[in-house]
Amino acid sequence: MRRAGPRRLRVQLDPRHWPLLLTVPLTVAALVAGVATVTGQAVLARMEADQGRHLAALGAAFLDGLATAAQPAAVRADVWEAFDALDRASGQYEALRPTLSVEVLPDGSVLASSSPRVLRTGAALPRSLSDPADQAIASGSPAIDERAGRAVVARVLLEGGVPVGRLVAEADIGALLAERDAVVRALVLANIGIAALFAAAGALLVRRILLPTERLRHRLLEAAQGRRPEPLDAQAGSGPEHLALVNAWNGAVAAIAERDLMAGRLAREEGRAQLGRLTAAMAHEVNNPLGGLMTAVDTLSEYGDRRDIREEAVGLLRRGLDDIRKVVRAGLSSWKTGPGEAPLAAQDFEDLRLLIRHEVSRRGLTLDWRNDLPDGVRVDRTLARQIALNLLLNAAAASPPQGVLGFRAQGLSQGGAVIEVSDVGTGLPAEAESLLADPDGPPPSGGGLGLWTAARLARSQGGRITREPTPRGTRLVAELPVPSHAKEVAHAS
Amino acid sequence: MALAGPRRARATSLAPVRFGLTPVFLESDLALLRALSSHMAAALGTPVELVKRRTYQEVVTLLLTGQLDAAWICGFPYVRHADRLSVLAVPVHRGRPLYQSYLIADPSLRARSLADLRGRSHAFSDPDSNSGCLTTRWLLAGQDLSPATFFGTTFFAYGHRNVVRAVSSGLAESGSVDGYVWETMAETEPGLTSTTDVVARSAWQGFPPVCCLTASRQGAAARGIEATLLGMAASPAGTEILRALRLDGFMPERPILYDGIRAMSQDLESRA
Repeated sequence: MRRAGPRRLRVQLDPRHWPLLLTVPLTVAALVAGVATVTGQAVLARMEADQGRHLAALGAAFLDGLATAAQPAAVRADVWEAFDALDRASGQYEALRPTLSVEVLPDGSVLASSSPRVLRTGAALPRSLSDPADQAIASGSPAIDERAGRAVVARVLLEGGVPVGRLVAEADIGALLAERDAVVRALVLANIGIAALFAAAGALLVRRILLPTERLRHRLLEAAQGRRPEPLDAQAGSGPEHLALVNAWNGAVAAIAERDLMAGRLAREEGRAQLGRLTAAMAHEVNNPLGGLMTAVDTLSEYGDRRDIREEAVGLLRRGLDDIRKVVRAGLSSWKTGPGEAPLAAQDFEDLRLLIRHEVSRRGLTLDWRNDLPDGVRVDRTLARQIALNLLLNAAAASPPQGVLGFRAQGLSQGGAVIEVSDVGTGLPAEAESLLADPDGPPPSGGGLGLWTAARLARSQGGRITREPTPRGTRLVAELPVPSHAKEVAHAS
Repeated sequence: MALAGPRRARATSLAPVRFGLTPVFLESDLALLRALSSHMAAALGTPVELVKRRTYQEVVTLLLTGQLDAAWICGFPYVRHADRLSVLAVPVHRGRPLYQSYLIADPSLRARSLADLRGRSHAFSDPDSNSGCLTTRWLLAGQDLSPATFFGTTFFAYGHRNVVRAVSSGLAESGSVDGYVWETMAETEPGLTSTTDVVARSAWQGFPPVCCLTASRQGAAARGIEATLLGMAASPAGTEILRALRLDGFMPERPILYDGIRAMSQDLESRA
């Protein structure tokens, strides 16, 4: 029990167990996000290349313009002319955003920089500039340091093929990087939006597609809860697959309705047949003493004046009438109440003994009767009697002449009743046994209606009928628990 | 460089008057130059061509060789070539035809005198500038020093405004500059002058004059220019130009106005 929670959680977390309403939108969103990521990467790669080319072009234009003015200054080592050129150029190339421009003499010393307070004349060019400058000159493209947000462009100044100095400029590429970041953010947000939009559309679409299936699921759940299965509107399907499902369901509903109809009809017929048998039994039970009574009446009318004969005739009349009264009382007990109106008592089964007495004697059977049922068992007495009567009549019919018909009744420890009926016949046929396993199935085509009816009645009360092993014949045990609503009533009381 | 006034079309048949300019004033203000050119052309009735060169020497050479009718030059070149040049007019600044040379420095140096600038980098304006070079050289020479031995490094910025830019930006730690230019920039470009400290001011000296070749002094162009400048304060257009130049007007030469510059020049020559 302790492991049930985590296991259930694992099952719930397993995507294979997620509903389509969730998995399809998530799959759509994942696919959209995947495609968007790939295209986004392509866009960013292209943008990075474009920015690199743009920066290289800007750097080249900057150096071209600067070199024209700076080269004579390098030749003459003219500090002011170099500074003037660098200073003017710094303010004229807003697109490149140069932060520091330096004119360096061939010995590596600074002739002038655009920010003399940062890099003074005569100082050595720092490694932080000279290294990327060497790299930029060697590669012919800007040396980019994204972490510092800067790029370094550089050019060697040549006079007649002789190097007279070099121009080194540091540019702030923060705006370019910020632009790229903004594009990344826009792409991510757009992709999330598109994925969410597609996921929502997918969810709506799947919901719409699955609507007929969902209706069918509801109907199946209702049927599983014991409600009457209802057909679905065949026009509500959204495709041939759903139409086939709806048609199959409606076919099943029709078949169930037809089976129930037939079962009801058969049950009514069985009831009438049982009523006929009972009527015959009662007529027989009444008729048996009736002959003696008539004889007693004749004797009284002819020899009524003789005391001994009269007393014997009156005694015969009394016994006969007593027998008839018992039979009538048993009949009244069986039919005067409806289902569910009274608890079961031992006397209810005792009446059955009287009702089957004729059938037992007709077949020359020996009745092994043991009724240990306590009074006040909260089981429907009418249905319990019908179950017991069906089992007894079935067992009597299956018993060979001079056989023994066994009956046991007792209470269950947790309430309810157990009825055991046995015979020494040839055993329960396989078809009849299958009725016990599936009482909701169709009624048997040839005989066995009594057992089928008993099994259905037991199931309707939450009970069951099983065949128990026995050396000879058949032993059937009907367990009839206390229905849940009866338990609630008992607890309430 | 040549700038012509709006009457150029009308006067195309006449020979233009060529007027030379040096950075003794803020000659970088092109709108001012255009207004000056227009005013002179209107007053002379001939086209006026304003001629600028990078160094004083180039302009003086053009003047001495007769390629300019007149030029606004520094007092130092004038006293050096006084035998061949004549003063047509002298600018009047704050009521006097005088100005000073300023020693300026980076405020972080907290310099209070020339001595505090020892070993610092220094920007001179022009080798032929009185305020931008001669005065500082003369002061150092008085202590048996020279710019090369006193300052750490030196360079010429070829313009007083450039000297202020050099010191303001940190390219030079100190500089020699025309006081009139510095004061004018303090009004027009305070962002540049506010990042410089005036360490020392020289004695009052003759303001840079407008000169011509003595041989051409009586020529129509020279007389026209002289009359135009001396009468500039009388016309609204001239007044507007003078206001932009932060000048009161122009006046004729006084005999002793450039004696101070002449004395410094001769002193340095004698020490050489």
